[in-house]
Amino acid sequence: MKNVIEIKNVSFHYKGAGYESLRDVSLSIEEGETVLLCGSSGSGKTSVIRLINGLIPHYYQGELAGKVSVAGRDISKTELYELAGSVGTVFQNPRSQFFSVDTDGEIVFEPENIGLEPTEILKRKDSVVEEMGIERLLGKSLFSLSGGEKQQIACASVSALLPEIILLDEPSSNLDRDAIEKLRSIILQWKNQGKTIIISEHRLWYLREVFDRAIYMDGGKIRKQWRREDFLQLRAKEIEDLKLRPLDVPAYFSVLFNEKNTKDRGALKASEGAICLKDFYFSYNHRPYIFRKKKFTEADGENLELNIPKLKLPRGKVIGVVGKNGTGKSTFLRCVCGLEKDCGGIIEIDGQVYKGNYRIGLSYMVMQDVNHQLFTDSVEAEVLLSMKDKNEKRCREILEELGLFTYKDTHPMALSGGQKQRVAIASAIAAGAQLFLFDEPTSGLDFDHMMKVGRLLKKLAVSGKTVLVSTHDPELIEQCCDYELYIEHGRVLSFGEIEDRTAKRGEKITICVNT
Amino acid sequence: MNNKKLEAKDFITIGIFTALLFVTEMVVGMLGYLHPYVVAAYVVLLPLATSIPMMLFYTKIEKFGMLTIMAALLAIIMFVTGMGYLGAPLILIAGVVADLIAKSGDYKDFKKIAISYGIFSLWICANYFPVVVSATSYRQSLLEGGFSAEYADYLFKAINTKTIAILVIVCVISGFLGAFVGKAVVRKHFEKAGIA
Amino acid sequence: MITLIPIVLLIIEKHYASALRFLVMYTVAIMLTFYYLSANSTGFIAAFLVGYCGIVVQFMPSVITAWYVIRTTKIDEFISCMQRMHIPDGITIALAVVMRFFPTIKEEYGSIRDAMKMRGIMLGGGNAVKMVEYRMIPLLFSCVNIGDELSAAAITRGLGGKVKRTSVAQLKFGVADSVLIAAFTATAAIFIGSKYFKL
Repeated sequence: MKNVIEIKNVSFHYKGAGYESLRDVSLSIEEGETVLLCGSSGSGKTSVIRLINGLIPHYYQGELAGKVSVAGRDISKTELYELAGSVGTVFQNPRSQFFSVDTDGEIVFEPENIGLEPTEILKRKDSVVEEMGIERLLGKSLFSLSGGEKQQIACASVSALLPEIILLDEPSSNLDRDAIEKLRSIILQWKNQGKTIIISEHRLWYLREVFDRAIYMDGGKIRKQWRREDFLQLRAKEIEDLKLRPLDVPAYFSVLFNEKNTKDRGALKASEGAICLKDFYFSYNHRPYIFRKKKFTEADGENLELNIPKLKLPRGKVIGVVGKNGTGKSTFLRCVCGLEKDCGGIIEIDGQVYKGNYRIGLSYMVMQDVNHQLFTDSVEAEVLLSMKDKNEKRCREILEELGLFTYKDTHPMALSGGQKQRVAIASAIAAGAQLFLFDEPTSGLDFDHMMKVGRLLKKLAVSGKTVLVSTHDPELIEQCCDYELYIEHGRVLSFGEIEDRTAKRGEKITICVNT
Repeated sequence: MNNKKLEAKDFITIGIFTALLFVTEMVVGMLGYLHPYVVAAYVVLLPLATSIPMMLFYTKIEKFGMLTIMAALLAIIMFVTGMGYLGAPLILIAGVVADLIAKSGDYKDFKKIAISYGIFSLWICANYFPVVVSATSYRQSLLEGGFSAEYADYLFKAINTKTIAILVIVCVISGFLGAFVGKAVVRKHFEKAGIA
Repeated sequence: MITLIPIVLLIIEKHYASALRFLVMYTVAIMLTFYYLSANSTGFIAAFLVGYCGIVVQFMPSVITAWYVIRTTKIDEFISCMQRMHIPDGITIALAVVMRFFPTIKEEYGSIRDAMKMRGIMLGGGNAVKMVEYRMIPLLFSCVNIGDELSAAAITRGLGGKVKRTSVAQLKFGVADSVLIAAFTATAAIFIGSKYFKL
């Protein structure tokens, strides 16, 4: 077998960065091999991907030493568009990688760029569409697709190029479980076609059967390599010590994401001072009312996308909100924090009733893209903004509590993702929020950061706040959730305490992995 | 990488900032329906409002052509959205001149950037061209369109062949001052956050 | 009459509710304009109504049409069309990005507004500068980020190469196009004629 990718003693230093992102990396990859790059964030995985597709040094500037050759070309002397025919890349964020507005145009975008004949392009498009079974996505606006569907289109457009080498940079970061399954089958298809595939990824479980070789990176260096058989032999503890996410997650799914496993104990003891949600009805499909849209009620029955007449949430607990994608989890969160005006739900705390706009401030949602929630030019100002009385002492307490005090003068946008999340939380604490909602806080995070988020959620709960977290990461639920709320079609299917975890861990191993 | 020719990524950046500029213009433009004097006040409001994205834009590319192309895009968009073609030459000329001025300072000399932005802001004045050049017919179309005579009177009182000179000057000055406001915001946020 | 076009467009795109709402708003605005507001109506309420009618009658139709154009024009067709017209690639790419970015700005702005609602700072504490700042800054940050990622992706996908771009879009100037252009030219001619020459 000949090597299609040859990286020799490469070091790279991004312009303006304080450290070397890659240190003396050497790697050769054979034709038809599927390589998994793992390691925590900042370990250099993404930089390796960028070396191979030429974004380093052609787009990201910096000091490059060493030699990279891909498909027989010296990368530093090859223009990016010449490489486009042989290397295809699927990026992390489905939202920002497409150029067109419609799906058809997106699939043929690359072949058109490299100047293929139109008839040939159409032929390729048809065969790719058929292979992937995405006929139903054709002719749609990309803006109307879900993240998973966008990622499928991105894969299709890479496929249409017929590249020898396909790179995937944390492709599952913004995907839910079903979409990840689809992604896996696409990767398998590529593997069967004999493509060389390199995947950088935090979520390892869906790749168990896919990769041939795993490469572990840390601090810009390649530390370890395993063949797949050896990697799968590693014990859970060893994986954890490498700060990687677990390999055997699908088993969690069948246990944790299953409505039958949480006993419905809707009748929580009233004495717990639970937060009570009442009359949460909502639907995105308004009937055509001309001026005023009416509030939704239970009478709308089947048409409702959210139908929760009554739900008691225990105080001081972390509640995992689970359910299949598109079944109303985000709708539920949006309604609870009062973002959907037409949802007239009532929140009751300690006999106090909060309606309409009064719900705002009571509950706070940390959005998936936390960048939208930061408005000011320093962490301190961000927290003070939420305080009516601008109490600097209280502000300091909150910041110290969350370990942000050293950053109090830093611009929030200069912080890391996890720190930004904490700033958002700090501002909500300052506003006196009781109910904290998290929308997929751990997607795209590595093991360490996920654990940190988990600990933070627990800490919030211990301080008496109620935390609702919607997530696709069973590891997170396992780590920090006390209760599980299973939502389907906007209805609460079951809600109850998560039972003894250790018992489940035992059970887990026996469950078949092939979902 | 520091060659002075625009590349694909620069064109993308130009596109993004043009979109932002245009959206800002639309939002401010809506205010114009409140009172005709607001229409005249565009020359102050718009250069100030768009100064933030524009000052960021100046730090992003630093190559000749960035403003010319942006001006061309604005002219095309203005035409497509029905604001007339009379102003197009002015927009283009403003773009080229602004580009040349900024280039003479290598896109780094802030004084030159401020002047360049002042000139570039003239694209806003292009909106007034129909009002001034074809005054009578424009007045009639306003009345037919449901505006009151009062509105039209005020509009023409504010914008006519005599005031246009003043408006143009005010526009350039607002742009010049706006550059300082925009720069301050860019320093406060984007430079502090490490992008720009 | 021309207003019917956006309504038809809305119906084609299955936005029945918006079409109906727009129709009603438009009728009301027109009625107000003709029966209530005369050329010499003054006063605050009248001014406000003029503003409202102006937005509905003049602005909305073009906004809806523009929305329709952006929604239905395929970037791919657009690029090859511009190429045929021998417009430089740079301008074509930039314009294509403009079109792709309007919906993105809308999405981003939507989430920023949500976030502002949750923080209760929609009005920036009554401070107009803050109101602009809180909207503009996060929007710029996300747009710059998305722009960087978009550029990186587009370049690895071969945009901006020296190869001549092809296109699968079959752009033919059909009979329908000629008829439409003729019709529009005629309308425009009549319109201009009646206005400027008092026919």
